[in-house]
Amino acid sequence: MLLSEPESKALCDKLLSFVKADDAEVSVRSEVSSHLRFAANAFRTSGRREDTIASVTVWIDNKKGSASGNEMDDAALQGVVEQAEQLARVSPVDRECVPSLGPEQYSPTLAYVQATANISPAPRAKAIGDVIAACEKEKVVGAGFHEAEGSTIAGATRHGNFHYHRASRVSLSVTARTREGEGSGYFLRNHFDIARLETTRVAQEAIQKALRSRDPHRLDAGVYTVILEPQAVADLLGFFAFSFDARQADEGRSPFSAPGGKTKLGEKIFDERLNFYSDPWHPELPGSPVAGTGIPAQKFYLVRNGVLENLIYTRFWAKQKQKEPSPGPVNGILEGTGRPASLAEMIQETPRGLLVSRFWYIRPVDRRTAASTGLTRDGVWYIENGKIQYPVRNFRFNQSLLEMLAPGNVDLIGSAERVSSAEAQGAYAALLPPLKVKEFHFTSQSEAV
Amino acid sequence: MQPSRRRFLKTSGLVLGAATLPPWMLEREAAAAAAVDKVKLAEIALATARQLGVTYADVRINRYRNESIFTRERQVQQVARGQSFGLGVRTLVNGTWGFASSQNVTDDEAQRAARQAVEIAKANSVYERQPISLVPAAKVVTTWKSAFAKDPFDLPLDDKIEFLLKINETAMKVKGVNFVNSRLSFVNEQKFYASTDGSSIEQYIIRTAPSFSVTAVDFAKGDFQMRGSLGAPKVIGYEYLETYPWQTEAEQAGHEAVEKLQAKPVEPGKYDLVLHPTNLWLTIHESVGHSTELDRALGWEADYAGTSFLTPDKLGKFQFGSRLVNFLADRTQPQGLATVGYDDEGVPAQRWYLIKEGVFIDWQTTRELATLIGRPSSYGCCHADSWGSVPFARMPNISLEPSRDKIALDDLIADVKQGILIYGTGSYSIDQQRYNFQFGGESFWEIKDGKKGAMLRDVAYQSRTPDFWGACDGLGGEASYELGGALNDGKGQPGQSNAVSHGCPVARFRQINVLNTAPRRG
Repeated sequence: MLLSEPESKALCDKLLSFVKADDAEVSVRSEVSSHLRFAANAFRTSGRREDTIASVTVWIDNKKGSASGNEMDDAALQGVVEQAEQLARVSPVDRECVPSLGPEQYSPTLAYVQATANISPAPRAKAIGDVIAACEKEKVVGAGFHEAEGSTIAGATRHGNFHYHRASRVSLSVTARTREGEGSGYFLRNHFDIARLETTRVAQEAIQKALRSRDPHRLDAGVYTVILEPQAVADLLGFFAFSFDARQADEGRSPFSAPGGKTKLGEKIFDERLNFYSDPWHPELPGSPVAGTGIPAQKFYLVRNGVLENLIYTRFWAKQKQKEPSPGPVNGILEGTGRPASLAEMIQETPRGLLVSRFWYIRPVDRRTAASTGLTRDGVWYIENGKIQYPVRNFRFNQSLLEMLAPGNVDLIGSAERVSSAEAQGAYAALLPPLKVKEFHFTSQSEAV
Repeated sequence: MQPSRRRFLKTSGLVLGAATLPPWMLEREAAAAAAVDKVKLAEIALATARQLGVTYADVRINRYRNESIFTRERQVQQVARGQSFGLGVRTLVNGTWGFASSQNVTDDEAQRAARQAVEIAKANSVYERQPISLVPAAKVVTTWKSAFAKDPFDLPLDDKIEFLLKINETAMKVKGVNFVNSRLSFVNEQKFYASTDGSSIEQYIIRTAPSFSVTAVDFAKGDFQMRGSLGAPKVIGYEYLETYPWQTEAEQAGHEAVEKLQAKPVEPGKYDLVLHPTNLWLTIHESVGHSTELDRALGWEADYAGTSFLTPDKLGKFQFGSRLVNFLADRTQPQGLATVGYDDEGVPAQRWYLIKEGVFIDWQTTRELATLIGRPSSYGCCHADSWGSVPFARMPNISLEPSRDKIALDDLIADVKQGILIYGTGSYSIDQQRYNFQFGGESFWEIKDGKKGAMLRDVAYQSRTPDFWGACDGLGGEASYELGGALNDGKGQPGQSNAVSHGCPVARFRQINVLNTAPRRG
């Protein structure tokens, strides 16, 4: 069961009461998750998991040790603390040690809906039974994944810091494939409130994409203008937020490092209409009230009007560089300034290009420009003279994200909506818009459907 | 010259002391484990399940321990130990699966989890369209332990820290090296399985995974290059740190990271490739390992990992590669990460051909999958990565057989006019049906007129699985065979990790498409 704030506080206090070290940070996380997975129009696996994990990091004479465990009786909790202390005693001095935080004021965010965490098997079975029935009606083969979870995380320090946050999430992805295997469609959405998950829409979008992507034409690989649906943007940018680390940039090994040992901070390296920021209180995308650094999260811009405004500083690196530790990011929002273009408008204004539904198996190939490779999947359509002409076979791309979002390459920006990287299976969410990009590099064809 | 141990510890700031976990702590761990009567708990869960009408049920009561040490240059960033203990019950009711788990390993929770697993299965069975059945498995009551000489969880921490800091020191001594990150991970799985078949199996597995990465930066140009370690994680004990030449490799990695900054960018085009096992294992994993999973071929992974171009009608007919190519699935392979005594539904570890003389001849199966293709038994590929995870089809060790002839790396290079020799893994990506792939590497060397030449950079090769394996015209002998692998092969929904190894000799592939992955200039 999920821990309440008083229960979490009691466990944190108990852990701290066992600590003999000079300094300590403790956390207690509880989680409940359940799922139903289907494929080939039949249920496959379904289950429920509960866990609670206590983690302890201590410092003794500036030497650090960490331990964790999921047994919550007093002896086990004491054992976790003692193990961390034992590891600290035999470790070298932690040269990057900073004292744990004292009391802070965290502004709570509304990220939890009890009905989401407490979903019961029968209504879920009916909802997914309906999805399968919809697939059968359209003579497609459905596969998908419905998962709901609730989680709490509490942290405390020996210097009096305490915070508690709880969140819920439900996600549904559906892949529909035509029976002859010549068409495939995918759709994924998640939300913290189960009442806001549009189950029928997810199924219908996947089914319609499958039907519309049948009998794809062959098209040569090359440089194309592309319209990226929000799912494709989520897949591409899924790993991008990790690139904003200040230390990596200062050390010369980041896409935001610059010649001469400098960084690109303050430079307009993205299209000037683009803002990329984190907002813990966004009603559609509530984030944790606690930043990764442990300090209270705040609205935090990484990119504003195309300018690299901030990099992410840990407390240690901020101290080294005489900066403030970063109050985020705790979520990701990419928005354009000005009037957003609809997907239909983007298509109408395209003389020749491709509409991309999503990407798959994206991996970095060159960190210097955040270049990645990967493939299109589940729907690519050729556009000519402002109209979708026909579906085309999938492509492999090799594309720098910095070049893709650079001034002059972003043509149109749509309205941001809540989407999630497919590779993360809907576990995270971001607010991302569809994008029309002038040049995107496809390097080979893939016959996979 | 290597620094003395004493000097080394002094310079790294390591203070000697009670450098291992004290006996009372180990005793406490042992007492906690012994306090749980797993057989009794399992019987409570299974009896509850039987009363509620299951046709099959199994119980896992598992403890996972891990120890990780992270360092960079001359400092230790993190030393951590973790434990996770719990039970999971899987039930088959009316041809539908249900699963429930608990971190509280008690009689009451075993009963509750069994009831909940049945409740889930029954709720879902109302809408079930394809009832599930299992091939039989023999009753087994036994214990099994992986092969290792030294259990890393019983050994001092200071030696482990010293090992990593020495790697860092060795690499940092190379002129031009700016950063080194190194990591040591140990994993211990203590798994208990019992089922309504009457089986009761205890297994104890140790995995050891050292790794490092060296970075050289050209600050003036704003350029940097990295070279990661080549040594693979394995099912082996602490002795792996003492028997593999980690320090030699750290020095070599340092030189290669620096050399890469000045290396010649590759000219895109078709090349003959000579791939070292440290590179080829990952290509095997993605193109052979995942394409021969029967659950993928049946569409069960369509929503995430994808399907397979190897459809059931291709079995026994499809020419997957050249006649040189033989792939063995093997859950008994020494040091293989997927090596076990029994899988997670009580089936003994086995060894069988998937590809023979280039022809696709068999699948990876579980008890559930075997029924669907009319097989009498499972190959034992069922695995769950936690007590709280649902077991499903996961990859065994899959390896490319070496040539019976004594063929060495230089022999393969000698017959190449214009080619590239590749070591180590870099970027990797493959489509959802396992056709189109792209792989990078750690270091690349030009081959010209039968000789290894200068270093190249920014290389990736891109091909189509049957074309690539069809282009294989040379394999090294047994002496060139090495085992690669990873601890974290992802698959399934919810996503699960699987540890798996792939062995292979050096191998040659004719006329493969090579890209330059560097940022475009100007």
